[in-house]
Amino acid sequence: MPRLLERQTALLAYLTSPAAIFGNGRGRADARLAGVDRGRLHLEARFSHDKRMEKIRGVLPKTFALLGPRLGRVLRDFAAACPPTDIGRLHNARQFHDFLRRRWTRLSSRRPYLPDVAACELAMSEVRSFAEDEPAPPISTPSGSPGRIRRRPGVVLVRCRHDVRPVFEDSAARVARRQVFLAVAVPFGADRPAVAELAPPVFRLLAGLGAPHKRTALGGTAAAEALIDALTAEGLVELCP
Amino acid sequence: MRVRLLHASEAGTPSPQVAVTGQGRAARPSIGIGYRWSIDDWTRDNLGQFDVLEVTVDHCIYGGARQRAAIEDLVGRVRLTAHGVGLSIGTDVPPDLAYLDRVAEIVARLQAPAYSEHLAFTRVPGRDLANLLPLPRTTAVAKSIIAKVRTVQSRVPVPFLLENIANVFEWPDSALSEAEFLGLICGETGAGILLDVENLRVNAHNHGIDARAFLDALPAGSVKEVHVAGGVAWRGRGRDRPFLADSHSHPASAGALDLLEHALLRQTPAAIVLERDDRLDAVDEILGDVARIRARFAPPEMQVSRAAVA
Repeated sequence: MPRLLERQTALLAYLTSPAAIFGNGRGRADARLAGVDRGRLHLEARFSHDKRMEKIRGVLPKTFALLGPRLGRVLRDFAAACPPTDIGRLHNARQFHDFLRRRWTRLSSRRPYLPDVAACELAMSEVRSFAEDEPAPPISTPSGSPGRIRRRPGVVLVRCRHDVRPVFEDSAARVARRQVFLAVAVPFGADRPAVAELAPPVFRLLAGLGAPHKRTALGGTAAAEALIDALTAEGLVELCP
Repeated sequence: MRVRLLHASEAGTPSPQVAVTGQGRAARPSIGIGYRWSIDDWTRDNLGQFDVLEVTVDHCIYGGARQRAAIEDLVGRVRLTAHGVGLSIGTDVPPDLAYLDRVAEIVARLQAPAYSEHLAFTRVPGRDLANLLPLPRTTAVAKSIIAKVRTVQSRVPVPFLLENIANVFEWPDSALSEAEFLGLICGETGAGILLDVENLRVNAHNHGIDARAFLDALPAGSVKEVHVAGGVAWRGRGRDRPFLADSHSHPASAGALDLLEHALLRQTPAAIVLERDDRLDAVDEILGDVARIRARFAPPEMQVSRAAVA
């Protein structure tokens, strides 16, 4: 008899495989699972898969809705490519987003903007989750004070290949193909995430502010100071002591 | 999602604590529910309906700061007991000591009289099904679990309870019955049992086991807490008989409550907790279940009849 861990590993490999989830228990399984009822394993696999997909759907509802009739095939390919490695809903949703980002154009020629929709939904959930975990204290350091600045923790930067605003605004307008640079954050005093479109240089600046920098490192000009103040007011940058 | 443009140019009265160990057993069980963050406001509004709330320690470990604060705010206002879903005690690797130390901190903060987990596994290194899976019920596996239970007991200084799960499948080399397996582990370690009567009902239906024989085989007095829940029947392709799923989504079944009544002939649990994880907006169903459980298992006269059978 193989060691228990080997049998457990074989079991989880099988239960997370498309053969077990979608195959109704047919097909070959690992010899270490000999004697275990295949029909029951199919049920277990299906229950677990459905639970996982519900978690992901909770984070990416618009993405799932837009998948429409292709949902079944996409979920099958996703299950094959990305077995579950963590219980968390954001972790699983991120796996799904990454999968769409890598594979979507090969899976479908329609709605090429779908990975961008998923990226925005994921960012909104991540920001919400961060705000829930660590409510940010209001910062009221006056303009021009000495010190250092950094991108505010909990801000998520998203670079899209399409302007997906019509999807979120339920607008009939067409989704345009263009590079869009977004920052998602909960502004000071607000209770829900807001999305700001950034000019590419501002996006790059924020991307580089993950660690604290001296204010003066941005040039110290009046324009740089005004930009820092504006980003701070938007809740995208904070002043460090 | 609203998108705003931002370009560079624009930048300008607590219930009495009840011991769960041998001495000082509960005269009548505390009745309550599993605490769920999404119905926190409702739970507080109805706190008087519950003698006990069961807190999932993993929600304290992995949940947000607001959720943790809300849970800790309940300390002293209602009895809290601690339950876990993240230990995966059955995975054939050493227990995660850092996780157990965090559990111990939370249990202390909650002033919980016990900490319970499932006799199951959910993951192996690199893969996490997030679903409770059964173990092969052999003496060798029991021995490895016994060692891990002792580790848990050495790190978390309150009584440890193991819960029976609803399992979809069985391992072919399971030589022990579920009651024998639980009894062996708990007998060797002194751990108590968290009896889930819905899991037992579901297993009896799905696997054809005798639920009352299971209950009769548990050592008297070993059940320290009870879970009650309600699930759904699943009718898949080609199934002539529905499969019961432990979905924690519907009112508790009469069958589960009948099993609880049978269990209480020989057991004196400190708490009976209603578990609900889905359709949480159906709060009337939750209160209805609590009222049903209380009327049937914790009326004032229970103290007399229970003493007579103890």
